[in-house]
Amino acid sequence: MNEQPVKYHRPLSPRISIYRWRAPMLASIAHRASGVALVLFVPLYLWLLHGMTSSPDHYDATLTWLHSLPGKCSLWLVGVALVYHFSNGLRFLLIDVGWGESRDMMRFSALVVLLIAVFASLLFAWLLFL
Amino acid sequence: MRTVKEPGSAHSGLSDWYWQRLSAVVLAFLLPLPFFLMLMVFSGAVDQQGLLDILDHVASRVLHTLLILALMVHAYMGLKVILEDYVHMLAWRIPLIATMLVVMGGFGIWWLALIWAWA
Repeated sequence: MNEQPVKYHRPLSPRISIYRWRAPMLASIAHRASGVALVLFVPLYLWLLHGMTSSPDHYDATLTWLHSLPGKCSLWLVGVALVYHFSNGLRFLLIDVGWGESRDMMRFSALVVLLIAVFASLLFAWLLFL
Repeated sequence: MRTVKEPGSAHSGLSDWYWQRLSAVVLAFLLPLPFFLMLMVFSGAVDQQGLLDILDHVASRVLHTLLILALMVHAYMGLKVILEDYVHMLAWRIPLIATMLVVMGGFGIWWLALIWAWA
């Protein structure tokens, strides 16, 4: 190495404390957060699957838990996370193939997926709790 | 993407990127299915016998297995990127990623066993 590269102290990935709060930044960090939430739901999904495929009593107990407040909150959370991660994932795939790469389009599409998530959160809250 | 000409010095630079996208497309098709099934069970539209009839079908088992494989690839790549971004100490990062892979493999095997268990 002949020259030491100039060191920039800029993060390459979304950082809540450093990045400016913009729609694409929020969309990116929310993609990670929803992804982690979905991974954490996997053990719960397996527990539900295990309970619902064993004896009828076990099935009823699992369904009763699903209708309890923690069960409904889990369903709400995973529903919102799934809708968001799905929508923003499609957005990322479209950006990958070269659609909507301009700054304005990135901002607009980020806003669209965030609004879809807000709509989904209201819809699931209405379906589950009312 | 269209401007990328070289795959990087290790010639494997596209590998993680490609697998992340391939698994994403598979999940985009498959993941909504169990979610809707769960909502149908929740609402009472499908009872236990109905649920077992759906899950027992060989097509469901194959699709469910594909879903598990794609989910493991996708979750591993996603969590790996997150750990690589926020955990800077290699002495922490490498064992964390390795532990995550092993734990994920364990859950994947348990899941596969659940899917294929019933006669």
